[in-house]
Amino acid sequence: MKNRKQINKEVWLMVLSLLIAALFIFIMITYYKRIMEDAGVTAEEVNHEYRYHYEMIVDSRNLTFWNAVYENAGEKALEHDAILEMKGIESAENYSKSDYMDMCIAAQVDGIILEYNGEEGLQDKIDEAVEKGIPVVTIVNDAPKSLRQSFVGINDYQLGQAYGAEVAKLVDSDTRSVLVLLNRVQELGQNQLYAQINSAVENAGQNHKIKIQSENIMSQSQFDTEEVIRSIFQSEEGPPQILVCLDEVTTECAYQAMIDYNMVGEVKIIGYYTSKTIMDAVGKGLIPVTISMDVEQIGTYSIEALTEYWEVGRANSYYTVDLNVITEDSSRKQEN
Amino acid sequence: MEKKKKRFRWKDFPLAVKVLCQVGMIALILFVTNLLMYWQVNKTMQRLDSIYASNVNLTELAESLESVQTGMYNYLTVKTSDSLESYYRNEEQYKKLLEQLNDRPMDNPVKLLEKNIRKMSETYLEYTAETVLAKRGRNVEKYKTSYAEALQMYRYLNSCISDLNVLQFKNNSSSYRTLQNSIRYIEVGSLVMLVLMMGVCILMLFYMVRGVVAPLTGLAATANLVGQANFNVKMPQTDAQDEVGVVTRAFNTMVSSLEEYMKLTKENMEKEQAMVERELLMEAHLKEAQLKYLQSQINPHFLFNSLNAGAQLAMMEDAEKTCIFVERMAEFFRYNVKKGSEDATLREEVEAVENYIYILNVRFAGDIHYTTDVDESVLECRVPSMILQPIVENAVNHGIRNIEWEGSIHLLIQQEGTDIRISVIDNGKGIAKERIGQILSGELRTEENPGDSTGIGMHNVISRLELYYKQKNLLTIKSPGENQGTEVTITIPYRETEETCIGY
Repeated sequence: MKNRKQINKEVWLMVLSLLIAALFIFIMITYYKRIMEDAGVTAEEVNHEYRYHYEMIVDSRNLTFWNAVYENAGEKALEHDAILEMKGIESAENYSKSDYMDMCIAAQVDGIILEYNGEEGLQDKIDEAVEKGIPVVTIVNDAPKSLRQSFVGINDYQLGQAYGAEVAKLVDSDTRSVLVLLNRVQELGQNQLYAQINSAVENAGQNHKIKIQSENIMSQSQFDTEEVIRSIFQSEEGPPQILVCLDEVTTECAYQAMIDYNMVGEVKIIGYYTSKTIMDAVGKGLIPVTISMDVEQIGTYSIEALTEYWEVGRANSYYTVDLNVITEDSSRKQEN
Repeated sequence: MEKKKKRFRWKDFPLAVKVLCQVGMIALILFVTNLLMYWQVNKTMQRLDSIYASNVNLTELAESLESVQTGMYNYLTVKTSDSLESYYRNEEQYKKLLEQLNDRPMDNPVKLLEKNIRKMSETYLEYTAETVLAKRGRNVEKYKTSYAEALQMYRYLNSCISDLNVLQFKNNSSSYRTLQNSIRYIEVGSLVMLVLMMGVCILMLFYMVRGVVAPLTGLAATANLVGQANFNVKMPQTDAQDEVGVVTRAFNTMVSSLEEYMKLTKENMEKEQAMVERELLMEAHLKEAQLKYLQSQINPHFLFNSLNAGAQLAMMEDAEKTCIFVERMAEFFRYNVKKGSEDATLREEVEAVENYIYILNVRFAGDIHYTTDVDESVLECRVPSMILQPIVENAVNHGIRNIEWEGSIHLLIQQEGTDIRISVIDNGKGIAKERIGQILSGELRTEENPGDSTGIGMHNVISRLELYYKQKNLLTIKSPGENQGTEVTITIPYRETEETCIGY
């Protein structure tokens, strides 16, 4: 103890300054290392390598929905030693799905998850890919006539029945017309979805005649959906009492138009998907009901299908995804 | 272990080493810090320079792709061997560039895009090869469809490369920003470090300088105190082996030896003084003893009474001369006994001399011619008693006794300014110069014939004069030569009314 006390102040100061200097140098080096790591994303980042490379080609219009699907599918893919890329989101040029299919085929990916939309020539591209040994899984909308390995989603018949049931619940004595906003290129007569809704409405409106119409808003240009819906609200005979929307953008546009034209209560929207805007509207009772496929299941099943193809050599041709019907009551329950 | 520790104590190092250590350390720290800063900034700058290298590479790839496409197009258009050669050359170069791209599925979007570009390029090159082959085989239908496919793929590739370029540019830009910021942070960091180190250095230098100066200041202050004859102060003990420690210890040693030396000197002086005092005391005691002896031999009162009785008897017998003689003798001895230890007036002294001469003249039948020249006004001055009679006795005993011619003694008392000059002048044998010196310095002090004297020697007179007047050289002896007489002169300050008493 005594010896320690005798150590000169100068020595303490020297030791102290040495320590400060060492500490400072250590901090600077650590900090600098971190900066270099931050700055070195392109060059020195350690990359994890995977066995398979899958592509997901979707319609970029419904970003929230597809992002949710992509997120789930991406996680699932990583579990199965695969990396999933989404096409159709970030691109300088406006490519069609056929173009994306071409690119994927040329890039020799290990699997394609495609949202089929009935685009011309897309079915041939699916066949071409499959012929070149690239498995194709269609999601949400099916291309049953193609050579696709699998379909993940719900068939039009079931979806139509679900929508039909919801429409039937909303039909009352004031209901004179129902409008179904279709979102795919398909002949109306073959559209099971429309047929199911139609029959449900007919059954519901036994006492009086209800006019049921459909409008295909699968547009060429990006902003058409909004214009079409506005024109529906502005038409001479007025908007329909029940508006059935089959995708996220349509639902949100219809909801916004309903508020803008002050027709809350007069127009009942049956929505699709559970984006924040839609869920808020449902919570407030402005949209009576919204229907959504389980995004998690879509992701999981599509990756499962591809994995199964590579591991077993074949895959289930059909994966059914659960359908969630969300009303004001159930949304409150969810919140609670 | 302990010993080792002790050997390398900081305070044992010489000042030069200490200063060198500290300043050197500071310099080293600053140097290292600056070196680090310099290195970091330099490396960052290098990094900044190379940051857009990937974009440059990509542009090269795009250019190479374009030249492949152009080469193929040229061949399809003109079908020259040159264009074919150019196409193959470009294809080769493009393939080489492709090899730099990643071809594995990875979770990094850049790498993934690279993989896509590589694979698509391979497909594209297949198409171009097919096209060129068909053209060479003149299969018009085939090369046209192949060309269309190749062209489409070429467009996709360009789009992909431009996507990759944008992506890399984004990454590079963020890297650039980060690096730019980091340079700023490094600047601030280095500034902070420099300021911090400067503070520490100043603190260190302050303590170092204080460590050197404080003991010196203390030393100066203590030296001042020592200069004021305060030997009790000392510097705090130190066992440091540096210069300051050495000086401090030397100073302490000096102070303590000074103190001892002073003590020793003081003791010596005291001893000496005591010795002188004792000697004086001894002499006084001796005199006293002699006096006591004389006194014991003659009961003065009995002697005086007897002498008085003798004088009366002489009167009754009308022997007037005898009467006067006996009276004077009685007076002389009374004075001698009475004034032996006091001072007296000059008049009494002169009377004592006269009595003495009278007695001698009776004894020696008027051999001595005694003359006086006395200033009456100074006779009331007080002087030590028994100073004139011994001088006269000396003049008689050593001067005029046993001379061929008639001896005479002249007493001269006169005022000279503030002094009184008393001279006893004889015409006797005189005194040799060496002897005068011996007498004045007190070396010749043996009383040759105490029985024939009043017992008071020259030296006694000189001593008592000095003690009484606290002055030296009051008595001088002059003798012009052998048989030319002697003059003994006492010069004393004139202090008429002063009543002083010498204490022995």
